[in-house]
Amino acid sequence: MTALTDSGGNEPRGLWSAGWSRFRKNRFAVAGAVIVLSLYIVAILAPLLTPHDPIAHGDLPKTRYLSPRTGHPLGTDKFGRDVLARVLYGSRISLTISFLAVAISVIAGSLVGATAGYAGGIVDTVLMRIVDALMAIPRLFLLLTCIALFSRSVPLIIILLGATGWMATARLVRGQVLAIREQDFIKAAEALGAGRRRIMLRHLLPNTLTVIIVAATLRIGGIILAEASLSFLGLGVPSPIPSWGQMVFGGRDALLDAWWVSTFPGIAIAVTVIGYNLFGDGLRDAFDPKQGA
Amino acid sequence: MDVLLKVDNLKTVFDTEDGVARVVDGVSFEVGHGETVGLVGESGCGKSVTALSIMRLVQDPPGRIAGGSVLFNGRDLLTIPEREMRKVRGNEISIVFQEPLTSLNPVFTCGEQVREAIALHQKLGRRESKRKAVEMFRLVRIPDPELRYRSYPHQMSGGMRQRVMIAMALSCQPKLLIADEPSTALDVSVQAQIMDLLLELKEKLGMAVLLITHNLAVVAQMVERVLVMYAGVVVEEAPVGGLFAEPLHPYTEGLLESLPKLGAPAGRLSMIPGNVPDPLNLPPGCRFSDRCPRRFDRCLSGEPPMFTVGRRRASRCWLREGGG
Repeated sequence: MTALTDSGGNEPRGLWSAGWSRFRKNRFAVAGAVIVLSLYIVAILAPLLTPHDPIAHGDLPKTRYLSPRTGHPLGTDKFGRDVLARVLYGSRISLTISFLAVAISVIAGSLVGATAGYAGGIVDTVLMRIVDALMAIPRLFLLLTCIALFSRSVPLIIILLGATGWMATARLVRGQVLAIREQDFIKAAEALGAGRRRIMLRHLLPNTLTVIIVAATLRIGGIILAEASLSFLGLGVPSPIPSWGQMVFGGRDALLDAWWVSTFPGIAIAVTVIGYNLFGDGLRDAFDPKQGA
Repeated sequence: MDVLLKVDNLKTVFDTEDGVARVVDGVSFEVGHGETVGLVGESGCGKSVTALSIMRLVQDPPGRIAGGSVLFNGRDLLTIPEREMRKVRGNEISIVFQEPLTSLNPVFTCGEQVREAIALHQKLGRRESKRKAVEMFRLVRIPDPELRYRSYPHQMSGGMRQRVMIAMALSCQPKLLIADEPSTALDVSVQAQIMDLLLELKEKLGMAVLLITHNLAVVAQMVERVLVMYAGVVVEEAPVGGLFAEPLHPYTEGLLESLPKLGAPAGRLSMIPGNVPDPLNLPPGCRFSDRCPRRFDRCLSGEPPMFTVGRRRASRCWLREGGG
């Protein structure tokens, strides 16, 4: 971006609009954004997009394992439920879980990382050793243990996925904060009488925001996969709430006879993850602080 | 003149792997209400650390204030709680740093940052503080203040950014402004503008200014009184006219001789031989002894105190013992 002269009457252009114009020029990024946006629209409009109920059983055994046809474009499953309806409604649970879990892990991770990086010294050491220790626990093992201990529910899964994912964010944010706190504008803010909390919330975190957003977006794909894996193991979202992972799991008995039951939710998972990854990569390219503003 | 700031025997040290570096080693001086004082010295002599120590902004660790007092309006800033100190910073004492290019937060508009500086110390509504920020932009002569209010730092030149920094520093009408090489990073023509602006604002707002610089030419036009620092101590104190007419310390003499002079025959500028001593490894006796052309036995055996000369001058040199 070119520097403006003092006398110029140019409208000020911020970091966000500059990043947005870079983002728009990246075709993959835009494709990713379109996929992600469409998914949210689908999730919200699911009842309008299909006449079928995703949970109620069909007219058994007449409607069991119907292959894709008019009326059931993606076929039906073991219980005669429309696969399209279940894939559409399943986006709600996948998006909700992934969004909230990432929100939890990003907020917790940012606060821990920023505190460690800004406070330094003993606080930094203690917090980062805790992070190291938690990272040493195998995630799946922890998830399975907790799910075995408590009853299975959507809020529990959100909290677990969020609570096991904040450590990487904490490390990332700490590194950023360590670099930013040495910059002159932090000292300038201190010289104006700003307190620690203000420095952290107004000066350190906003300057790490683009990095945090990029990391969060890229992490959503991973969370969706983690949720799907748990559901596939039969330990995720309790049935009959439709979730993609659990649908793949449900269709595995009849994979050879009724391939559509597992395949379509599998494709939905893949498309979502790819969409988020393209979107996240695009954001990183557009807002990477190394490119400077 | 009433004393506004009285720094007494200030000592700031840095813990390094090789030992304790006494970067500010017993600095004492006073600044009166509305007075302009210059603090001059080579890079690394401790003048910026002195400024940061007054503001209690020395990074700790590795740095720490090891002793002395900083009386501001009679209150010792080194002993008040951090919370109280925060109310002093930006409100009663402000500082403008050398690097206008990096001293502004890149993610907020310049106007928003000035507005925040105002809101930090004054209970004003959003609209009021914004109006005041635009007023500050006008005061520091930023053209088109309403538009520039919405500019981001990277859209402004260095000179304009330093004006924004000055606007922030002065937004609460401090009684003392510390200007730490405020124009060093700027083009020469812009330097003069910033200095003129500071001088003008000082007159208008009636604040005291402690101007830190390595540039004696700047000192000559701007200040009333000069403190010359060398290796962590003040070595000479004088009204600006007297300093240039008759320096009382060999180091000041050397500094003045190294300035280019109009009308003098062309040739190499004279310079002070050697380097500023390492604060970890100061020479015995007078700190300047290893570079001093007028060294004698006494200089190596003991460190000279500040000798008062006449009514308003002082020099840390054995040659001035007894006020000579």
